[in-house]
Amino acid sequence: MRASYKTLKTAATHFWQGLREWCGDAAYETYRRCATRAGETHPLSPAQFYVEQLNKKYSRPNRCC
Amino acid sequence: MKRILQILIWVVLASVAATALATIALHRGEPISATWFVLAAVCSYLVAYRLYSAFIAAKLLALDNTRATPSERRDDGRDFVPTNKWVLFGHHFAAIAGPGPLVGPTLAAQFGYLPGTLWLIAGAAFAGCVQDFVILFCSIRRDGKTLGEMAREEVSKRGGFIAQLAVLAIMVILLGVVALVIVNALKSSPWATFTLAATIPIALLLGVYLRFVRPGRVLEASLIGVALVLFAVVAGQWVADSPAWAHAFTLSGLALTFAIIAYGFAASALPVWLLLAPRDYLSAFIKAGAILSLAAGIFLVRPHVLMPPLTRFVDGNGPVFAGKIFPFCFITIACGAISGFHSLISSGTTPKMIQREGHARFIGYGAMLLESFVGVMAMVAACAMPPGVYFAINSPAQIVGAAPETAAQTISSWGYPLSAVTMTNLAHSVGEQTLWNRAGGAPSLAVGMAQIFSTTIGGERLLSIWYHFAIMFEALFILTVLDAGTRVGRFMIQELGGRIWKPFGRLNWYPAILLSSAVIVAAWGYFLYQGVVDPLGGINSLWPLFGISNQLLAAVALVVATSILLKMGRLKWIWVTLLPMAWIVVITMTASYDKIFSANPRIGFLSFANGLAAQIATGKIPAAKIGETQRIIFNQRLDAAVTAVLALMILVLLVEAIVQWHAILRRGRESVLHETPYVATQWAEGD
Repeated sequence: MRASYKTLKTAATHFWQGLREWCGDAAYETYRRCATRAGETHPLSPAQFYVEQLNKKYSRPNRCC
Repeated sequence: MKRILQILIWVVLASVAATALATIALHRGEPISATWFVLAAVCSYLVAYRLYSAFIAAKLLALDNTRATPSERRDDGRDFVPTNKWVLFGHHFAAIAGPGPLVGPTLAAQFGYLPGTLWLIAGAAFAGCVQDFVILFCSIRRDGKTLGEMAREEVSKRGGFIAQLAVLAIMVILLGVVALVIVNALKSSPWATFTLAATIPIALLLGVYLRFVRPGRVLEASLIGVALVLFAVVAGQWVADSPAWAHAFTLSGLALTFAIIAYGFAASALPVWLLLAPRDYLSAFIKAGAILSLAAGIFLVRPHVLMPPLTRFVDGNGPVFAGKIFPFCFITIACGAISGFHSLISSGTTPKMIQREGHARFIGYGAMLLESFVGVMAMVAACAMPPGVYFAINSPAQIVGAAPETAAQTISSWGYPLSAVTMTNLAHSVGEQTLWNRAGGAPSLAVGMAQIFSTTIGGERLLSIWYHFAIMFEALFILTVLDAGTRVGRFMIQELGGRIWKPFGRLNWYPAILLSSAVIVAAWGYFLYQGVVDPLGGINSLWPLFGISNQLLAAVALVVATSILLKMGRLKWIWVTLLPMAWIVVITMTASYDKIFSANPRIGFLSFANGLAAQIATGKIPAAKIGETQRIIFNQRLDAAVTAVLALMILVLLVEAIVQWHAILRRGRESVLHETPYVATQWAEGD
């Protein structure tokens, strides 16, 4: 029973993480981790990062017919 | 023992696929269960994935998991982000799945269910998936370079230029034709028009929330947005029931045309975070939900397909669009089988996020298989309704007659019994004023989806809600393609203009933004306008033009892939990309020739234009209609010219590539490849 609960909990956690990554919720956290690793002294704020990402994403074909 | 069991499982799956395919191909007379379609598609996909994609991965591409991908070497948390393969599969699928695999099969159902279904399954396995997979691989090996950049480097400068022109051409024609699908779906429908209009303030609200209140919190904002959109679907019924509101939201085709053109301009010129991005989030969630629901509905309901395997319209005189199965079925169903546009996604964001080369098979080949399955489901939904109803919704008034009784008589005389009362009752039960002559594919698909959904939940009582949910779902993600495409088109025009006059290329200079937005909107808006005023309903002319331009881009992608593989010395397996390329070139060239020169005025642009010109010359057109007729003549000649230019582009690229391949083969050794040098991965196996 406990093992099944643990498996279920792990699966739910993975699903939630995947969903956040898929929709872009986790993008800023990923960026901050990367910025810290690279020693960036002035990382972008969440709002700045959000707008920068959108401007990049929608400047090239990203939705098909 | 384990190995024998595995082989046995795959033999069983292959046998089921063969049996199901044979059943849907040979079945005659009685309606056939949709279960056979699902079995044929799913088992064929599994076998194709297990065998053919594994063969391509091992023999043709020799995927190397020890080689660091761009996301590992250039990890910057912005563009190059190592991403879990399941998440990236979701990203990639959301990007490639547009309205094409839904609308194309619905239109091609006029030939019967068989040609379209076979092309969807075989085309995806042997052409579409191969293109997506190989281009993704090529882009990974080149630091995520785009198709245009790869064409320039690996084929020739002219090849790169043709790829760029093809992208612009497909963009303009695609946007015009998908906008026409929306216009035909919303025309004279206050409920649908209100629902779609309501998504604009909802998107603006989400835009402000995501920018200023909770920056980047897409999930919670999208959930709020989806709830509001679903409420708008229900509220649409109240609007339709109120005479004053219904009047305000009952728009003609031309009024909708100008509204959509104005919307496209606004979406292109406004900041991306305000309207475009939040609408895209809404669309992505609703798209995922609707596609999953449709799949679940088909599994649960297992509707019977009432359309015959082959209709009398295989002779080329179909009312939805004119032309024989070859080549028009293969042009009409583009995205569900092979779509050149996918090569832009495979050489866009995906290669910059992939963790391992080995994942390219699952993401490139696998996502396209899923897209093909969406196409098969659309085919089932369209063919599950009585054929008479299908033709009543999709045929223009000029062919079946404007009066319901006349139209019902015409359709019944084709062998598909229909009464005017059936259509009146159906329109009433889905909450529409009329369903006659709603060409474009969206309304008939919505009727099919609504019937499947209502059989699962709610019954007849909820049919109207489900119908408008389906219309909203289709229109919402068509508008997403429209506004995202307009914006990309604007950037391309600014880039081209910037070469002539530098300030025009500045992306933050408002006069340039407004002017380039106006140019791209005017370009697709013109195609939309000509479709709306076309006496044959527009789809007849514009959908094949869209198919030709999309397949042109597929030909460009497969030429680039073949060139790269030849340079890699993979001559033995070159047929993997060469055969689909040859097929695409043959169908595109044949369709182009027919669309320009066919003597049948419903197929050939020039014969239609010449016929109208002769009628003016002989005084058969009343004086009051001469101006309008001359505009139609001009539009037909313009379409002929556009088709000729597209065909010429394929020929130039092909000649260019053949000369290069000849040189490579004569030298008998590997040519210069523009791959990034090998760097060993630092990630442990399984990371």
